[in-house]
Amino acid sequence: MPFIEILKPMKKFVEIVFIIIVPWIIILWVVFTFTRDRDRDYFSSKNIEVRRDSVPVDHSKFADLQKEFTSGPEVTEACLNCHNGRGMEFMKTEHWQWKKIDSIPGRGNINLGKINLLNDFCVGVNSNEKLCSLCHAGYGYGDKNFDFHNQNNIDCLICHDNTHKYKKSKPGKPNTGSGFPVPDVDLTDVAQHIGLPQRNNCGACHFTGGGGNNVKHGDLEKALNNCTRDVDVHMAADGKNFLCTDCHKTHNHQISGQLYTVSSSNKNSFGCEECHTDRPHISKLLNEHNEMVACQTCHIPVYAKVEPTKIYWDWSTAGKLKDGKPYTEWSEDKLHEYDTKHGTAIFGKDLQPEYIWFNGTADHFLITDKVKDTTKPLVLNQLFGSYQDYFNPVDSAHRSKIFPVKVMRGKQIYDPVNRTIIQPKLVGPKGSGAYWADYDWNASAKAGMDYLNLPYSGKYDFISTESFWPLNHEVSKSDKALKCVDCHRSDGGRLKNLTGFYLPGRDHNSLLDYFGVGFIILVLVGVSIHGTIRIISNKKNH
Amino acid sequence: MKRVLIYKRYERFWHWTQALLILLLALTGFEVHGVYHLFGYQEAVFIHRNLAWAFIILIIFTQFWNMITGEWRQYIPSTKMLKAQIEYYITGIFKHAPHPTRKTVYNKFNPLQRLTYLGLRVLIIPVVVFSGLLYMYYTYFVNQHVVHDLGPIAYFHTIGAFLLLGFVVVHVYLTTTGHKPLSAIKAMLTGWEEMSDEDAEIALEENLEVAMIKTRRSISGKGSIEKEGMFEAAFEDVAEKLGIETESTRLRSKLIDSNVGYFRINKEGIYEEVNEAWLNLYKCTNKKDVIGSHVTLDRRPEGKEQIMNLVNTVLNGGTITGERVERVCKDGTIGYHTVSATPYRDKEGNIIGLEGFIIDITHQVEAEKALEKKIASQHRSDDFYRMVSASKDVGYFRIGKDGFYQEVNDAWLKMYKYDSKDEIIGKHYSLSRTKEDFMALKKSVERVLQGETIPFGITRRYCKDGTIGYHHITMTPVYKDDEIIGFEGFIVDKTDKKLAEEELKSSRV
Repeated sequence: MPFIEILKPMKKFVEIVFIIIVPWIIILWVVFTFTRDRDRDYFSSKNIEVRRDSVPVDHSKFADLQKEFTSGPEVTEACLNCHNGRGMEFMKTEHWQWKKIDSIPGRGNINLGKINLLNDFCVGVNSNEKLCSLCHAGYGYGDKNFDFHNQNNIDCLICHDNTHKYKKSKPGKPNTGSGFPVPDVDLTDVAQHIGLPQRNNCGACHFTGGGGNNVKHGDLEKALNNCTRDVDVHMAADGKNFLCTDCHKTHNHQISGQLYTVSSSNKNSFGCEECHTDRPHISKLLNEHNEMVACQTCHIPVYAKVEPTKIYWDWSTAGKLKDGKPYTEWSEDKLHEYDTKHGTAIFGKDLQPEYIWFNGTADHFLITDKVKDTTKPLVLNQLFGSYQDYFNPVDSAHRSKIFPVKVMRGKQIYDPVNRTIIQPKLVGPKGSGAYWADYDWNASAKAGMDYLNLPYSGKYDFISTESFWPLNHEVSKSDKALKCVDCHRSDGGRLKNLTGFYLPGRDHNSLLDYFGVGFIILVLVGVSIHGTIRIISNKKNH
Repeated sequence: MKRVLIYKRYERFWHWTQALLILLLALTGFEVHGVYHLFGYQEAVFIHRNLAWAFIILIIFTQFWNMITGEWRQYIPSTKMLKAQIEYYITGIFKHAPHPTRKTVYNKFNPLQRLTYLGLRVLIIPVVVFSGLLYMYYTYFVNQHVVHDLGPIAYFHTIGAFLLLGFVVVHVYLTTTGHKPLSAIKAMLTGWEEMSDEDAEIALEENLEVAMIKTRRSISGKGSIEKEGMFEAAFEDVAEKLGIETESTRLRSKLIDSNVGYFRINKEGIYEEVNEAWLNLYKCTNKKDVIGSHVTLDRRPEGKEQIMNLVNTVLNGGTITGERVERVCKDGTIGYHTVSATPYRDKEGNIIGLEGFIIDITHQVEAEKALEKKIASQHRSDDFYRMVSASKDVGYFRIGKDGFYQEVNDAWLKMYKYDSKDEIIGKHYSLSRTKEDFMALKKSVERVLQGETIPFGITRRYCKDGTIGYHHITMTPVYKDDEIIGFEGFIVDKTDKKLAEEELKSSRV
């Protein structure tokens, strides 16, 4: 009671405290602390466990593998002795056929793949099989006469070698041929130590596409064989230590996932959501972003984290000789290269992706397609998608999202008369027309196009081209993910080129803002004038 | 300077909470808009969204409160006095003219405020809130094909934000136009507004009048006749609603001073309840003497029939307002008052009596009677001067033929707020008028100087301190040797009534 007595004279003050100050404090507290944005910690979470099939047998004890193997096909035969049916199974896959039936929106079903598509690296496989087959999961793919139906030609070891010693030989080496193992590999040892594909098995091809480590993809490089979480949170040795097949689930040698430089539809694809769900954040607002923004967009803020990737390739400067000999020249930072064989190249490291709307379907510029507009860069694999797709979707199951891509740009040879891209012959002995032997574009173009039985006018030129490489790997740690302001800003945010929709923080209507600011200024001026006159008239009256 | 209760507790809570929310919403909103960097974009977005929900919850609560308490009536727009209010802000305020409208707890807003706040409530805030909701849940709406682009939503939201910001600037500035620059803000904090004495009295009177009306209603509504001290209970209730400590006698004495007497009579005409003010007016000291006696007891024979007619009117379901009644007080003197009464019902709604209040007008009636007497004696009676000039409530004046004041009494000085007679005697009567008021009054004066007597014209005065007042004026010629040498008369202040009428009317649209 005495306490209340003390309060009585302060009643008014106490009242103000209770009806104004206390609500203020409560509201400020709630407003400033409610729903902080914290991501779930997947790294330490025990909910997500990776399950892998184990190989329950010791192959080194098998009698069939106790002999001296002298060639790859010999090993394959031994494998298929037990694993019967697997050969036929494997021969249906893209790793063997280098093509599949895929549908392009508006063009129907087409047999597509490495075997017939063009890119802006080494352009295409045809007439260059001897080099390209370095990455074919088979033995002897040296030209179009390769027997795709002989299961003994399957190279089981390139994927299943667990000794890390197996290697395919480069073309031109004696006694080997296309895609055969290098002679000094102990095939018996390899055959006795096979297992499920490890990162370096897949990486043998997928890390080194385009002629070197990380050259092609930008997000797939040898460093992933043994990296930290700073490079890739999934494959990190100090993290979950994922193998490729932990995500790229494989059944009957059909490996899930695909890349849109050689695919055009989202069949057999998968996404981050399969583990992380489509509501991975605690913050609803961030989860809502998933409606329009792919996970990769924020969580792959940079790519080519360890080794640089090639981002520009100008074939038109190729063929210069120094002292009558081909040569290679690197800039000091190792990011600019001139090479007589390849022309000018630019590399980039720690690159920011470019961003596009992408709905999981793509078009491809086929070698029989005609170039319509030579003033703009020719897009070799147009990724479909737009903001409109968001509310009026072509396929409601796959709405467009903002996606990060590596854009490969360059200049490559084309036929200005027939208006087609040319498949040049690059690899071969002198006099065969191979560019890397003769440095004669005309002969190279003729040899390449003749090989495909396609017309070549005899004239060639170079055309700017672009290809789009969606980024899916080298996912960064959550604290390195994009922050809101990386996109939601008016001064050069990451989405500055992705126009056609309203992005808060980036866009505003300048007319409206001028009117708004003008209105506030008018009000302030009006109030100041009114107040001044009041003060003056007050003084007069006193 | 006096202080009057204007804002109730919930209103103050609501106002300052909303003020905080709007300021923080603007602060974070314009950051999201990209105007500056303060919290950081991400923080600003999250805080803005949380604030938005707090704001919406507050709006829902407040609209509910407005509905339940009937406060929504305060937002009904009225064009009455709107022009005057605009003119006041454009010109009057610089000339120290009085506020054309007054602030009371039952009529807080001037017509301009009513219009502005209504506009805020039905236009700007809904635009901001709904565009904000669309903005927040855009991803859901876009899938439902409701909207296709965030742009227009954002533009509407921005327009609303600019308008609100403009409102806040003007609103804050206009708070300085009260009695003192900080009066309005203090009032919003404490609930009590500082006012000039006149404004305060008028506001208090009106508060009382409405309190009386409410008291009557609440008594009728409760319907129990057994309960003792019904009025007292209702009075406490009103006092509490007004935010006054119940032990404070200030309001009670004000009620008594204001001569508002309360009474309740049963079906047989027997007094059941009266208040102190009633007893004072009848010059009774003991309530017990009154309760149980018949309503006709305090009348002269000729008044008995009139009072019974009034009682019967109300018992038949009618309401009487401002009926003039004569009373015989305990000490035998005669008094006059106006009576207003309504039926008093039981739970079933049957009329079981009547109740109402009386306002004393004895002095006014006496002045009128003196005037009648003067007219009856062909203007030769000195009684009028003696009678009226001595009155404490009725102002007396005498003006010469030339229009200059010759005599006024103390009541007159009080009404016009002069300190002594010397300040006014010898001055022309146009002094306290606007041009239009003077022209109107001049015509009446000319008629009086022709020999007419003009009773009960209502006129407006400007008091010495610039405040405005209203009074009934009665004018009659002054004769000397059968020649009119000037005019005299009396004034009865009606400022409270006039303003209360107007403001009540506008609040009851």
